[in-house]
Amino acid sequence: MKLVCLSWSHRDRVCAAREALASVPVERVLLELKTRGFAEAVAVSTCNRFELYVAGQADQDLAAAGLVAILEELAETSLGPQAEIREDAAAVDHLLAVAAGLDSLVVGETEILGQVKTGYEKAMAAGMTGKRLNVLFQRALFVGKKVRTETALASGSLSVPSVAVQLAETIFGRLEGKCALILGAGAMSELAAKHLAARGVSKLVVANRTWDRAYQLAARYQGEAVKWETFPAELERADVVISSTGAPAAVLTRAIVSEAVRRRGGRSLFLIDIAMPRDIEESVHAIDGVYLYRLEDLEAIVAKNMASRAEAVAAARRIVDAKAAEFAAWARSLSSGPELSLKHADRTDGRVLDAEYPG
Amino acid sequence: MIKMVLSWSAFALYAAASVAALHYLLTKNERASRLMLTFVGCGLVLQFLSFGIHLAAFWAFPENRWFLPINNFFGALSYMSFALAGAFFTIEVRRHLGILGAFVLPMAALGLGLAVILANPELAPLEPKLRSYWLNIHPMILMTAYATFTNAFGVALALLIQERQIKSRTPSELCYRLPSLDELDALNSRIIAITLPILVLGLVMGAVWAYQSSGRAWSGDAKEIMSLVTVGFYAAFIWLRYVSGRRGRTPVYVSMAGFACILLTFFGAGVFSDSHDYLGGK
Repeated sequence: MKLVCLSWSHRDRVCAAREALASVPVERVLLELKTRGFAEAVAVSTCNRFELYVAGQADQDLAAAGLVAILEELAETSLGPQAEIREDAAAVDHLLAVAAGLDSLVVGETEILGQVKTGYEKAMAAGMTGKRLNVLFQRALFVGKKVRTETALASGSLSVPSVAVQLAETIFGRLEGKCALILGAGAMSELAAKHLAARGVSKLVVANRTWDRAYQLAARYQGEAVKWETFPAELERADVVISSTGAPAAVLTRAIVSEAVRRRGGRSLFLIDIAMPRDIEESVHAIDGVYLYRLEDLEAIVAKNMASRAEAVAAARRIVDAKAAEFAAWARSLSSGPELSLKHADRTDGRVLDAEYPG
Repeated sequence: MIKMVLSWSAFALYAAASVAALHYLLTKNERASRLMLTFVGCGLVLQFLSFGIHLAAFWAFPENRWFLPINNFFGALSYMSFALAGAFFTIEVRRHLGILGAFVLPMAALGLGLAVILANPELAPLEPKLRSYWLNIHPMILMTAYATFTNAFGVALALLIQERQIKSRTPSELCYRLPSLDELDALNSRIIAITLPILVLGLVMGAVWAYQSSGRAWSGDAKEIMSLVTVGFYAAFIWLRYVSGRRGRTPVYVSMAGFACILLTFFGAGVFSDSHDYLGGK
């Protein structure tokens, strides 16, 4: 089989071509290719990537220049010379790497897998997938899932706020219905509030010595501002507390926390101290059901995740290479016969990918 | 003979499922998790068949007819490993907590392993004092409760590991794979809260049986005393967890002490108990 892949990605320093292509609906691209006699094509279009995969018979002429010309016509602009062009094995390898998140700006991000799936589904709907691209894209989706479940590529956050959120999830599970108390209304507090709100924390309570700033921060995240003096009482309903006040001495003492724990009916309490000097007395960590993490603890976890990320990339790469080789053997068997059976032994989302391949 | 082959195969399957479960816990390899489920499922079927054969042979003695063959270690351990694996299947797997297999399945394998390797599978007519319909009630209820408590113990182990991980401030990859502290705590407490009344019911049934057969509900033998201590520990757990609202390690340790009592009650009975020594097969 013959396979050509054109791609414009975040690696291009000039993003004009990507912008122009993003404005062209994928369906139009597919329709245009269909009317010009191409049998199989899939386009993946995201905010920082545009990829076109075209497949045909082994002897078919799939000139990249011709495909670029078609895209230029649709985008009504010159796309310049930046397209990365890959053929056959290189194109297969690239698609698998893209689906695995290895080619993303944030390596290991999971969104791209869904975007590849969408691109494939649109092509299926347009009748532009046949045996070759069906097998190839199902394999790519399978590899993407496999890499994410079997390597640490997608786990292990790389920033202090996201590590904090991840820890909160190991304590509470889902954060919906949980309440976060923010002490202090500085930039760090805001960053933490933003992450917690994004992960579904239902209630944000902000306490700050200056009422106005507490009020403003709370308003930005649909939270509730409370008077500074009342924060010990707020500890009773909070699940996560993030403290970053500029106070010279600890504001959350062991006495305050023990008193709150008594009234909490045994719910776990996750305290995060990102202030310097510290806001929370170290001894509260010894209380049953109370977990205190300080800025340096979170930073140490980030550093560890950074280190293991490199290992995970290598592991993901091995999976991609192995699966690309399997696909190459299958593609060769199409022309030399007998056709190899390319069973995906694993399942994705509980659904066997071993579907009937039409075409 | 066929019965032993089936039991040995079921044991091998549970052992293999435990290995797969450990592999799943350490690598999060989805294939290992599916293997684990397949092994457990097949093991359950084989054990069920083996039980049928065991039952037919047991009932070949006319005086044993309609009584369940749980009057010796072989029968009791086989039943409990079956109930434990079954409980894992219905509780954890349905709640997508199959990752806990690494903590629960080794105990099912161990139980069945003890039965096939150490216990005497020979069948004999029941002693006259056991020929009572109560035999189908009192020990069955208790063994079901033991199996479920064993499951809770597995969950409690995972809970302690997770708690230590988070307290340590240097959580490993394992921490992100295990269910959250809250989920584990809820599962452990719920299993215990549901099983404790079953345990008490089984003990009361035993007292009724004893009263009917000997005129005394309480004979004060070691096994009876240990059972009350077991109830005491689990009741203390329930009180700590639901009434006084304690979390963290203390209640978990208390529930584990309850489980230690169960082990002592079950395996020690033949040594220091008079009216409950039948499990030794005497």
